[in-house]
Amino acid sequence: MERRAFLKAGGASLASALMGSGMLTWSARSEAATISQTLYITDGTKTMPDGVSVYVKGYGTTANTPLIPAPSIICQEGDTLSITVYNMLSVTHNLVIGGLVSGSAPIASTGDIAPGGNKTLTYTIPSGAAGSYLFYDNKTSYNRFLGLHGGLAIMPAGISNQLYSGSPTFVKQQFWILNDIDPALNTAVKNGTTIPTNFTPRYFTINGLSSRPPGAAGHGDPTIDALYDPRSRLSGHVGDRTLVRMLNTGMCSHAVHTHANHMEWLTDRGTIRPAVWKKDTLYLRNNLGKIDAIFPFEAPPDAYPPVTSGHFPMHLHDEMSQTAGGGLYQFGSMTELEFL
Amino acid sequence: MGMNGGSGGGGGGMGSACYVYPGAPATPGFVTPDVLFQRGIYMNGSMTFDDGNSVTIWGFTDLAAGGGGGMTGGSFPSPAMRVTEGQIVHTALTVNMMWMHTVHHHGIEPSQENDGVGHFSWDVTNGTYTYQWRPSHAGTYFYHCHTNTPLHAEMGMYGGLIVDPVPNPNDPPGTKRAFANGPIYDVEAIWAADEIDPAWHTLQWSAGTCGGDVGLNNLNPRYFIITGVDGASSALTNPGVAVTMQKGQRLLVRYICAGFHPQKIDFGGLTATVVASDGRPLPQAWQTTSIEAHSAERYDCIFQPTTTGTWTVTVTYYHWRSGAVLGTARTRINVV
Ligand SMILES: [Cu+2]
Ligand SMILES: [Cu+2]
Repeated sequence: MERRAFLKAGGASLASALMGSGMLTWSARSEAATISQTLYITDGTKTMPDGVSVYVKGYGTTANTPLIPAPSIICQEGDTLSITVYNMLSVTHNLVIGGLVSGSAPIASTGDIAPGGNKTLTYTIPSGAAGSYLFYDNKTSYNRFLGLHGGLAIMPAGISNQLYSGSPTFVKQQFWILNDIDPALNTAVKNGTTIPTNFTPRYFTINGLSSRPPGAAGHGDPTIDALYDPRSRLSGHVGDRTLVRMLNTGMCSHAVHTHANHMEWLTDRGTIRPAVWKKDTLYLRNNLGKIDAIFPFEAPPDAYPPVTSGHFPMHLHDEMSQTAGGGLYQFGSMTELEFL
Repeated sequence: MGMNGGSGGGGGGMGSACYVYPGAPATPGFVTPDVLFQRGIYMNGSMTFDDGNSVTIWGFTDLAAGGGGGMTGGSFPSPAMRVTEGQIVHTALTVNMMWMHTVHHHGIEPSQENDGVGHFSWDVTNGTYTYQWRPSHAGTYFYHCHTNTPLHAEMGMYGGLIVDPVPNPNDPPGTKRAFANGPIYDVEAIWAADEIDPAWHTLQWSAGTCGGDVGLNNLNPRYFIITGVDGASSALTNPGVAVTMQKGQRLLVRYICAGFHPQKIDFGGLTATVVASDGRPLPQAWQTTSIEAHSAERYDCIFQPTTTGTWTVTVTYYHWRSGAVLGTARTRINVV
């Protein structure tokens, strides 16, 4: 795993608690800290699996390259977030941290950031706030679809292996941030023309990428192929229980389906489920729906002879999402579950 | 591995295929099974709706029962599989050289070779591949093709898959339970709720795989069905869907969300005791009068009506983006 794939947090020096790419790593602290981050709202283009170039906006760590999603942030209850956002574009933007419960008001906001300006969001995280959050631009209803979104993980204070105090435990954690792209929207934003009112998404991403099957250009390239993106792919040995923080920033509801293991379903839309159900398919709502679930990395239970290794898909079962540009099955929102 | 499998056929027209992985190798660790299902495929079935219109349907045939292979019709949904927890099961899929298909036993978690996902193993063509698996958890599953899945599943390539628990030696012979030590039931219904967009049912098997816009991102269903029967009116009375039971009996409804858009099933005033989902018992049973579900979820629901009467069950289908109601399908529970 390359160095940039790991988040280093914990200890006295906490200039930045975010990851470039790769899984979230975390060590609990006994003392609160200030987590500082600078982000730049920029635009650019992304090439879709069928070669179509789509205009995007994102929160980057440099003044000219959008990152989609933004680098994830992980912190713990009691920490203070200090996020400075520069708006490099010619229209007003913002950054809000969505509420824990889907549909509730954002818990923090930069307020409007004028073109060329910057604002700093400062927020001290109360106890009881542990969970998975989307930060995004809500200046319009559609800015988050363009790429202005990222994941924030708030850990319970002093705990490194639970989603919330007393939850089932895990040894790894990752985000799956899902988005749906209708290029008609992106083009209208780019050109300043009328925003469509009836979206029909044509591209589907997990952590900003679509999958590329064997034989396709980019297959196996972790910067192109969602099957191999270390932010998305779950890779582990039997017992490497992995918390997946699923955030739906897109337009469509999705059915998240894992092969090889059922998931332990912990939360729905920010609310802890009354009991942990084991599910092979989870209903991830649109309109900022979210789910936390643990992929347990147990030996696939129905194999004969028994096996402990293999490669399997996580794909969305609303199969329209498994396409690109109206065809190209296997070029949609899918990643790999790798049993080492 | 990679591009260019066979030429097209089925559903009209020839076509090339890309990003398919043709194969029909020997099964690793092949042993003599306890149960064997021999499945062929059909590519020229049809379903007629209550309004008189019809669409092409594809599916699996039971070769042991004399089902054809290819340009024939067949039952829709495909013939169900029923096995017992712990049995070693073989699903032998035979596909001729004109097409590629797989069997993915949804919710069953076998080895990579036996999972039936083309690009993680092979798309079966020009031969037979035998999927070997041993179900460890009783419950409700379904099987479906995993080649060009948006199209092949929409075209009808799915069937029910039920795993029964090992009979409890202390139970009277014939006792049926949802899972080991689970609730006993007398009457069973399998409701696979699906939606049909006729525009998709004119495509050939590899449509879109080499690129080009064939509309597979955009499902606009016009028909809403339960277990292969039109939910406009036929499913209200079709004896394969609508339930007739005696007061005092227990009914197990195995609800399968077999479409691609989210659904809500409302039991018309009856309260379901949901005892399992996705082939796993719930830690505590859940009492509800309706269930919201998305593609491929399953819920096992027990009903024990205490009065005679007729209840109308309604499945409402919602657009995955807008949430708009796309349509409904209805059936009935008649308690006599
Ligand atoms: Cu098929
Ligand atoms: Cu499936």
